[in-house]
Amino acid sequence: MTPLVLAANLGLSFAALAALCLSLNRHHAEVFDRKAERAAVLRLRAFGWAAITLSLFVAGLWEGWAFGPVQWIGALTGAALGLVLLLSYRPRYVAPAALAALVAAALPLSILAVSA
Amino acid sequence: MAAQGRTTVRERASVAGRVVLAAGGGYGVAALATALLSLTLPMARSEAVATATLLSFAVMAGIVVLVFSTRTLLRALLTVGGTALVLGALLWLAMGGSRP
Amino acid sequence: MKASFRQSMAWLHTWSGLIVGWVLFAIFVTGTASYYRPDISRWMRPEFTQVEPVDAAALGATAERAVAHLGQHAAKARTWFIGLPQADKPVLDLFWRTRPGEPPGHVLLDPRTGAEAAVRDTQGGDFLYRFHFELHMPPLWGRWVVGLCAMIMLVALISGIVTHKRIFADFFTFRRDKAPRRSWLDAHNVTGVLALPFHLMITYTGIVTLATFYMPWGVTAAYKGNAQAFFSEASWITTPRPPANRPAALAPVGPMVERALASRPEPLERLMIVNPGDANATVVAVFEEPHGLSHEHPQIAFDGVSGEILEVRDGGLKPAAKTFTVMTGLHEGHFAGLLLRLLFFLCGLMGCAMVATGVVLWSLARLPKAGERPFLGLRLVQALNVGSIAGLPAAVAVYFLANRLLPLDLAGREQWEIRAFFGAWIVAALVPLARPQRRAWCEGLAAVSVLCLAVVAADLLTIPDHPLRLGGGDPLFAWFDAAMLLLAALFALAARKMLRYEAPKRDRARGAKPAPVTAPAASPARPPARRPEPTHA
Repeated sequence: MTPLVLAANLGLSFAALAALCLSLNRHHAEVFDRKAERAAVLRLRAFGWAAITLSLFVAGLWEGWAFGPVQWIGALTGAALGLVLLLSYRPRYVAPAALAALVAAALPLSILAVSA
Repeated sequence: MAAQGRTTVRERASVAGRVVLAAGGGYGVAALATALLSLTLPMARSEAVATATLLSFAVMAGIVVLVFSTRTLLRALLTVGGTALVLGALLWLAMGGSRP
Repeated sequence: MKASFRQSMAWLHTWSGLIVGWVLFAIFVTGTASYYRPDISRWMRPEFTQVEPVDAAALGATAERAVAHLGQHAAKARTWFIGLPQADKPVLDLFWRTRPGEPPGHVLLDPRTGAEAAVRDTQGGDFLYRFHFELHMPPLWGRWVVGLCAMIMLVALISGIVTHKRIFADFFTFRRDKAPRRSWLDAHNVTGVLALPFHLMITYTGIVTLATFYMPWGVTAAYKGNAQAFFSEASWITTPRPPANRPAALAPVGPMVERALASRPEPLERLMIVNPGDANATVVAVFEEPHGLSHEHPQIAFDGVSGEILEVRDGGLKPAAKTFTVMTGLHEGHFAGLLLRLLFFLCGLMGCAMVATGVVLWSLARLPKAGERPFLGLRLVQALNVGSIAGLPAAVAVYFLANRLLPLDLAGREQWEIRAFFGAWIVAALVPLARPQRRAWCEGLAAVSVLCLAVVAADLLTIPDHPLRLGGGDPLFAWFDAAMLLLAALFALAARKMLRYEAPKRDRARGAKPAPVTAPAASPARPPARRPEPTHA
């Protein structure tokens, strides 16, 4: 169970942090070469925080509320490190990678949901 | 750190004083607070000791930050010394100091 | 102390970080390695992979053998510790203390015969683990020094958070193509901020693991200094029994072990026999921690003479006592499975990087202007930076290398491994004093890389059933060597960067400014005026 939950957490965290990161003007410009529109910023932030919250619930529901939060923070930290490195070396890949992470999170999530 | 290399003796003494005050005073206040809370927290004895000991390091960190952020060394000394005195007096009472 | 709270905290962060930076780096590196302590220990004792694990049914007889050995060789000891064979350590690990001041006894026994195990003499991962909180000093001194460093680390974290003006805006910012001071500050911020929950947790819980040692005054006030009474009242240990000072024969421990095993699902980890040979002898069976955050070993105490159960300790801690054990558990991370452990390890590495970038930043901010001579303190800091950031990993690699290369029958082999560790470290710390800065960095980092490769080579050459040679064998060796290769690659990359990047720095930074090649997003979205040079670095 744990590897699946952790994979879902990592994917969700990466997508969430990438969204939050792209909602910041400086990084948005690095990735897309233009300023972010106000509506897009709000959408990205809403998605980011929602996905972080979802990640916490996924961790908590499947790992219990003792391990869950530890794993949640661990996944956030790991994903953030990956994101910063990607942003620094290959900024263009951030958006596709975030989508891929979201898809990669959906797979273990659906397995977990079915088996629950 | 613009004035690096031109530090006056006075500044050096002030920094040294703060270091001593932060280490000694910080540990002293934390130790007094731990002993006091261990005796007075309204819970089982082992729980009071555990709670007080767990909190003590946060207390010490707080005192260190306070010592280094206070404007003058004298004021820091008075604050820490005053806190230690109050805690010490309370501890004396808690240990039954008023009893003969 | 300065004009504003933030400036005071910036000053505090800079100087508190610098004075303990190198020791903290060593604590972080050895602590991070300790997440894999059992694996390192096993790698350093390749003989273990040859031994069949003992199954639970034979554990009683095995424990009897341990007691027989101790009765013969440590009859005067007050306490016997018997580590029972585990899956990753399939031998009896005996340890005893006779009286304070005398060095404790220690021996590994073959669980089937009771003879000394044919294992190379090494401390394995335990050396790194103990270094993490004792620095290889006498335990009392080492623990106080580490405690002081941890406390200063806590203060540095708090003051660092206050100093960092734009935690959220700069959360993801790592501009590696900017002036060195800027990129190093970014790296310091990123490694510090991204893993901040880990850093705060690991620092505070680290102090808490030795809390009653550092801050015994609560116990002094409420228990008249009797720490054992506090521990047992907090339900952490079974109630200690003083010796009766009347001799009595120790009952066979085999049946006690079997009774203990039957009563719980967890594997039995060790036995502790207090006051053996006394009428009040106590045998405490300690189990592995059940799955959970909290560091709590279930324990059963037996009367050593009658063999009856005296007491069972199994959870049920009150909230504060539980908080204590959860903090200890979080620090040690025993609960973490493969992936979570990897994340903890990564966080530990980020801690190492945070400390390393911090001390480098101090020296970068004080580089002399063109034509000025570097002042003595700067030279010293620069050399110490190389000596610790490249020197300590080099020393660890040499420690591993010594484990493979020293003759197996060398007298005091265990000590020679440790001497190799310190010898390498001293050399690595002294050489940079005589070399130009950049050269020293390149050489140091490259040396670590070469040493890591040498570890892999030595492993391949000296382990006859290495998985890469036979395709079979214990996969542990392959994993360990893969990790070493990864480290070698990382350090080689760092050395190359240092060689290529630093040298023409000033000109390049100036030349790159007008050309938007390196910074495609030099757009109106980034007014440079909003980002003044940091005041605190």
